Amino acid sequence: MNSSFRSRAASLAPLLLSAFGAAMLPAPVSAADPVPLSLNFAAEIAGQPFACGQRYANLGRTDAEIAFADFRLFVSEVALLAADGRRVPMTLDDDGRWQDGQVALLDFEDATDRCDNGTPPTNAQVSGSLPAGDYTGVEFVIGVPFDSNHGDPTLAASPLNLTSMFWNWRGGYRFLKIDMVAAEAGADADAGHGGAGHGDAMGDGHGAAAGGGHAGGHGNASAGAWMLHLGSTGCESPSRTSAPSQACAQPNRVTVTFNDFDAGQDVIVIDPAALLADSDLGSNAPDTSPGCMSFPGDPDCASVLPKAGLAYGDMAGGEQQLATVRRDAQ
Amino acid sequence: MSSRLALFAALIAFSAAAPAQEIEVLDEGFVWDLPDWLPAPPVPDDNPMNAAKVQLGRHLFFDARLSADGSMACSTCHEPSLAFNDGRAFSDGVGGARGHRNAQGLANVGYSPMLTWANPVLRSLEVHALTPLFGDAPVEMGNIGQEQALFARLRADARYRDLFGEAFAERDGEISLFTLTRALAAFQRTLVSADSPYDRYKYGGDGDALSAAARRGEELFFSEKAECYHCHQGFNFTDTFATSRSGFAESAFHNTGLYNVDGAGAYPAIDQGLYQVSTEPRDRGRFRTPSLRNLAWSAPYFHDGSADTLDEVLDHYAAGGRHIGDGPNAGNGARNPLKNPLVLGIRFSGTERGDLLAFLGSLDDPGFVANPAFADPWPGGHPAVVQRRQASPFGSPAAAAAPDRTALLPSLVAACLFLLSVVALLRARAAMPPTDDPFSHSDPLS
Repeated sequence: MNSSFRSRAASLAPLLLSAFGAAMLPAPVSAADPVPLSLNFAAEIAGQPFACGQRYANLGRTDAEIAFADFRLFVSEVALLAADGRRVPMTLDDDGRWQDGQVALLDFEDATDRCDNGTPPTNAQVSGSLPAGDYTGVEFVIGVPFDSNHGDPTLAASPLNLTSMFWNWRGGYRFLKIDMVAAEAGADADAGHGGAGHGDAMGDGHGAAAGGGHAGGHGNASAGAWMLHLGSTGCESPSRTSAPSQACAQPNRVTVTFNDFDAGQDVIVIDPAALLADSDLGSNAPDTSPGCMSFPGDPDCASVLPKAGLAYGDMAGGEQQLATVRRDAQ
Repeated sequence: MSSRLALFAALIAFSAAAPAQEIEVLDEGFVWDLPDWLPAPPVPDDNPMNAAKVQLGRHLFFDARLSADGSMACSTCHEPSLAFNDGRAFSDGVGGARGHRNAQGLANVGYSPMLTWANPVLRSLEVHALTPLFGDAPVEMGNIGQEQALFARLRADARYRDLFGEAFAERDGEISLFTLTRALAAFQRTLVSADSPYDRYKYGGDGDALSAAARRGEELFFSEKAECYHCHQGFNFTDTFATSRSGFAESAFHNTGLYNVDGAGAYPAIDQGLYQVSTEPRDRGRFRTPSLRNLAWSAPYFHDGSADTLDEVLDHYAAGGRHIGDGPNAGNGARNPLKNPLVLGIRFSGTERGDLLAFLGSLDDPGFVANPAFADPWPGGHPAVVQRRQASPFGSPAAAAAPDRTALLPSLVAACLFLLSVVALLRARAAMPPTDDPFSHSDPLS
């Protein structure tokens, strides 16, 4: 990496400590005292900024034109990688909304247009603190840790009580939810709604999820909707009666590691286009969930999950292609 | 089938003569309406029973504002007059979304430590409620992402402000995922069916409650010839069962050879049962054992409603698995390698088949179906119900296709009893002075 870009938490720390710590704290400041840090994220579709309802051309192997109806993901187990090779966990803030101290929700939809099941506020940042140090890399997981993933969602604090991210019948959360609709279905919907929606009062309040009336398909083989949902499968085999000590057979948590990363300047870009490169986004394998919902045996997942770094069926996980780092030009 | 006709006549007679049931006091002074031989269902620590919570849950259960478009309440697929079934093979969600499993009856659902047809991770009614409310694969009530709009709809009704306030005083009557799911679960735990002729015969000491045919059928049911009882066991005739006195929550899943589409044990890809959650190939086709209570109202049968009549169900077990000759689901279920080995095939005589049906009929509980404590509490025309779809016992393909008219009889009986109770309710309500008491409309029922 270019060492001239090493601003990072390490260089931020003395600044903060001298400005506030020395003046306000009587005790001498230890190098181990945590300093705040934020990681910046962005959502893109094939390199273009994500926007609800916008059409993106040339997606998947059929060069489909697709509109998007949701773009949210959970991030956890964040750590910075020190120059000396140590992995130093970052303690996430608990802000009562986007982060609960362990898990952060990145939310790029703003409830407009086809995202009418969403929430207006957005969040593109993960905030926390860690001891000052010389950090050169970052590591995080796209997913919810096992210990938080199988609790009672009605008792959970935000963001683990958002129904959009529940994965009820599989017992856990959607780690990543990117919902797509064929562009023509999106056009119909736009015309029908006359703009951003009152979908919550309507039967199609589930919008992209159903594809429903607009796409003309009541069955789940509807070509109207194609959803990319990551989440754990193969959970709690009934051979174990004492519940949640056993990991799921396919945890499907994506570990992302960047060895060359500068939190002060870099943006972590989440872009599903590479995962979908070999998918036909205009069709769905019969008798399977619309799109790829991580379920084993779904042909729609076969070309997708390995590109997220996840083993699928007989295929080993490759390098994850969901997240990349971009250093904004100065 | 004439014995069946006689039996239903007998049921009505017994129902009318029902003795007052014993009561059991548990949980914050809550009074369960249970016979003395039956322990209460388990109650989670974070949801103790109380009468106000049950009444709130009952209002919510029948309230179509719980669905995104106001067209569905829980009762749309769990209709009291059908023993909380809906008479359909599959149930439609909002906006015409299609389900792919048969809605199950809710009789004694509080005694089930696992919910739905095959889900080992759904262990409480509280968490289960999130699936119909917020699920999107399939869509049922269609509220995914719309929980705040849902709460706002409920908050706008003054009656709910009172009901939530009384049921959840310690939470200042908040309307939230927590209180919504707790109240729904508390109401469902009261849905106990334990007053069938068989209950009176077996547990109530009434030796005359069963016909001779039903008693012979009981012998056959519990024999090693028919092998039915290994899975359909205990008070609720299922091996997924727990009471408040249970040390363990037992649950089991079985492949009964309904399908064998690839010769290697597969069920149709749309629903492979437990496998969908566990992803273990050996779990293909394994489903939770359904209770056999109130079968008169629960047609069509099996997880996918693929048997219209109990005769078809018996044909399946007689053959030791279902053979489907052609079509996309063709295959010989009897040769399903994943099949439970106790599904061996049974050689019935014609009399034995009739006896078995008579026994199964003795598990029907018309008093449960007509229980006014479980009836819709909302007045007609109220926003809670004005757009609500009803399950139709006569509009379902299964009922229309049933060749035997007696198959409709229990539904007719239920409908009549239900109508009678509605008439009684309306009369009682008409006699009541108007009041702001949120429970006024239900007082005549309790």
